[in-house]
Amino acid sequence: MSHLFDRENVDVAWCPGCGNFGILKLIKEVLEELKVEKNNTVIVSGIGQAAKTPYYVDTNMFGVLHGRALPAATGIKMANPELMVIAEGGDGDMYGEGGNHFIHTIRRNVNIVHIVHNNMVYGLTKGQASPTSQKGFETKVQVNGVINEPFNPLAVALSLRAGFVSRVNIGNAEHAKGVLKAAFMHHGYALVDIFQPCVIFNKTNTYQWFKDNTYALDENHDSNDFNAALQKAFEVMPMPLGVLYQNKNSVVTFEEQIRKSDAKSLYFITHDVSRLQNLFDSY
Amino acid sequence: MKRFEKDFSESTHQVSISILIGGAAGLGVGTLEKILSDAFKSSGYYVFCTKEFMSRVRGGSNTTLIRIANFALQAPCWEVDIAVALDALAVEHMKDRYTKSTLLFVDESFSEKDFSTISVAMKESAKKFGSARYVNTYMAGVLFGVFQLEKITLLRSIEKYFQDEEINKEVAELGYETGQKIENITLPKLPNIDIKEVQKLHLMDGTTACGFGFLAGGCNMITAYPMSPSTGVLNFMASMTKEFDISLEQSEDEIASLMMTLGGWYGGARAMTSTSGGGFALMGEALSLSGMTETPAVIYLAQRPGPATGLPTRSEQGDLNLALYSGHGPFPRVLLAPGSLEECINYGYLAFELADKYQIPVIVLSDQYLADTIMMIGDIDFSSYEQRRYTLKSAEDYERYADTANGISPRAIPGFGKGLICAVGDEHDERGQITEEYKMREQMVSKRRRKSDALLKEVIAPICKGDGEIAIIGWGSSRGVIAEALERLDDKRLSHVHFAWIHPLSFEQLRVLDKYKYKIVVENNADAAFADQLKLHDVDVNVKILQSNGFSFFADQLEGMIEESLKELS
Ligand SMILES: Cc1ncc(C[n+]2csc(CCOP(=O)(O)OP(=O)(O)O)c2C)c(N)n1
Ligand code: SF4
Ligand SMILES: [Mg+2]
Repeated sequence: MSHLFDRENVDVAWCPGCGNFGILKLIKEVLEELKVEKNNTVIVSGIGQAAKTPYYVDTNMFGVLHGRALPAATGIKMANPELMVIAEGGDGDMYGEGGNHFIHTIRRNVNIVHIVHNNMVYGLTKGQASPTSQKGFETKVQVNGVINEPFNPLAVALSLRAGFVSRVNIGNAEHAKGVLKAAFMHHGYALVDIFQPCVIFNKTNTYQWFKDNTYALDENHDSNDFNAALQKAFEVMPMPLGVLYQNKNSVVTFEEQIRKSDAKSLYFITHDVSRLQNLFDSY
Repeated sequence: MKRFEKDFSESTHQVSISILIGGAAGLGVGTLEKILSDAFKSSGYYVFCTKEFMSRVRGGSNTTLIRIANFALQAPCWEVDIAVALDALAVEHMKDRYTKSTLLFVDESFSEKDFSTISVAMKESAKKFGSARYVNTYMAGVLFGVFQLEKITLLRSIEKYFQDEEINKEVAELGYETGQKIENITLPKLPNIDIKEVQKLHLMDGTTACGFGFLAGGCNMITAYPMSPSTGVLNFMASMTKEFDISLEQSEDEIASLMMTLGGWYGGARAMTSTSGGGFALMGEALSLSGMTETPAVIYLAQRPGPATGLPTRSEQGDLNLALYSGHGPFPRVLLAPGSLEECINYGYLAFELADKYQIPVIVLSDQYLADTIMMIGDIDFSSYEQRRYTLKSAEDYERYADTANGISPRAIPGFGKGLICAVGDEHDERGQITEEYKMREQMVSKRRRKSDALLKEVIAPICKGDGEIAIIGWGSSRGVIAEALERLDDKRLSHVHFAWIHPLSFEQLRVLDKYKYKIVVENNADAAFADQLKLHDVDVNVKILQSNGFSFFADQLEGMIEESLKELS
């Protein structure tokens, strides 16, 4: 492995042993193996520990606000559909603060890869419950344990007819790599929810816990079968990993539909002045 | 004698007629406005129309004011010469605006005789054609008949605006005949026509003019969430996607609106969003992101009265402080508030130029009054607006936040050049890596600060008209109404000072105001927010004329208010 996507002189802010290191390595490998053009790639991220990932990957990046990576990513695709755009962040970022955008980005079918580091906790703010925290999870805020039903991103994505819905565990990096590659290859919106142990603030959902409570889907699962995928999305203990669903029929993407002419960058689009003049004069 | 003589002799004498038409939502007051404004313009009159309406789709009581004149009109008046009540509720709704000489057209079923009413068989006649909704076309006919204007002109306008034009033309013709036959009324004197001059003009509302300004500025992307009174711009741009390559999306909320707009600029677009107070409030954090990441943004903010949902379809200049102070942490921004159709175009264009050049958010402040008011504008030469690009191709060692003398770091976009573009909302170093190093923080604060300083050289000074020692100061949409109020007062002591560039203000430029002995500020709000800005720049205001009842100012009322305020000066 070369280090094409390593960013030089960076001060990585994660704790030793954090699952984020594995995800960082995975992303850099996938980008390189798929021969992605770094100048043509943008990683958009929100705020959180997960959202720091693009600072350590040598591509273009737009580091926005907590919860707001998806609409920014959508805007970039609207401006230049030729860019490869990745939206990345944590479970709180993407499913909590940005929950509304999660829903509508899927509905639009924006052609992006959506990577969510799911550690079932708020890391950066030091250990509160996240939307995916399991019931009973005790924190300094949820002192009697979490009482809310955990958010089910896969079921939500499926219900909105997302074209690519997957989940992996960074503890099983080889498997995760195959899925992430498939997400990059998918034409349209692709969700990759990655189980990522937070070794500091989540002593419940550890590497071992994720190992014990997950299993990889095999050939018996038909990822083209929507109903089977929906059933899998609700399966718990153990939770299935892999591509739950992929719509292999080419579905037209958001940016293919809203852009009038070819997929050229809006940078090149100026309005024809005589056309504008005529329109004004018609009033 | 029931008729007046058209007076062509006194061509310099200014004459105007105001016609107020009222009726429930759904009765077609808006359509009537379109037809009549077009037909009056084709007949050779200068035209001005403004509406006020309730936040409901059916029922209630709405009005549109149509003024015609032999001079360019730029303001509404409160008292009216003619009122047309399309239903009984409208008689009541409009009644504060009648004078002794107001002619009130009502349906024959209406019995009260408080005013000089003219009964017309509106409902019966409309029903003859199968639907009560024809009252509007019928009354257009009646008015044209009463005025003895060319019938064919009205029919041509009807052809333009109706799909079922044939039946509407028949209705109008019946109305016209009826109007011609009305006996024993004294009509106000009609202004002279000026076909040659009027035909050179274009009739449009502030929304449309702003839209043309944004297009002139090269706007090729808009992401917005509907909210009165800003939705018109979104609609206009949507209609323009059929003419130009424009990326448009109705976002899921206003946070997404501005975030998409920022994504658009980052990706190479000239993007904007449109909203009103409540939606803009939701954009606060993203506005701040624009400031920190130095990503340009253009925001069209059409004000309506708050707090909260306030009066959704009415007008106020109440969001100046919101626009000025929203977003955490200091960062440079520009506020522009056009006050005429020409300014809508010029400042709409300028918004894109400044946003791009200084990599800042630029907010265009409009309001319901400006957005919905139909006025006339002369020819505009669109070839004089250049759609520029301020970005460069990145070199391999490109640094997004490279420090420069004026604080503006050359902006590049991804995919163009060898460098990588790292734009960041955390405090960052020059290449766009997160940093908490205090010296770097100081450097970046200073860099953003210097952009604010550099901006000052762009500031457009207020327009000062008149040599009087008393300045009547307004900003944004009140330009026309203050101008007319001052014309009415015809008092040599009074000067008009109009601000369209609202922020940042230049301390030096404002010294032109020092020459006025007294300063009276006119604001369509309750907090005199602009007067506060003047005070911050050592401009003391003697009197504040404020109104926040949901209406913009009316020229005749403002005339009285100014007269009253002069008594306070001594
Ligand atoms: C609007 C806003 N609210 C709150 C915060 C504080 N905040 C930063 S990250 C975060 C949650 C982080 O959790 P998650 O998104 O799961 O990321 P992780 O750190 O676990 O990777 C919060 C609440 C913020 N930055 N912005
Ligand atoms: S706090 Fe948790 S998520 Fe954040 S770096 Fe440390 S281990 Fe990772
Ligand atoms: Mg988390």
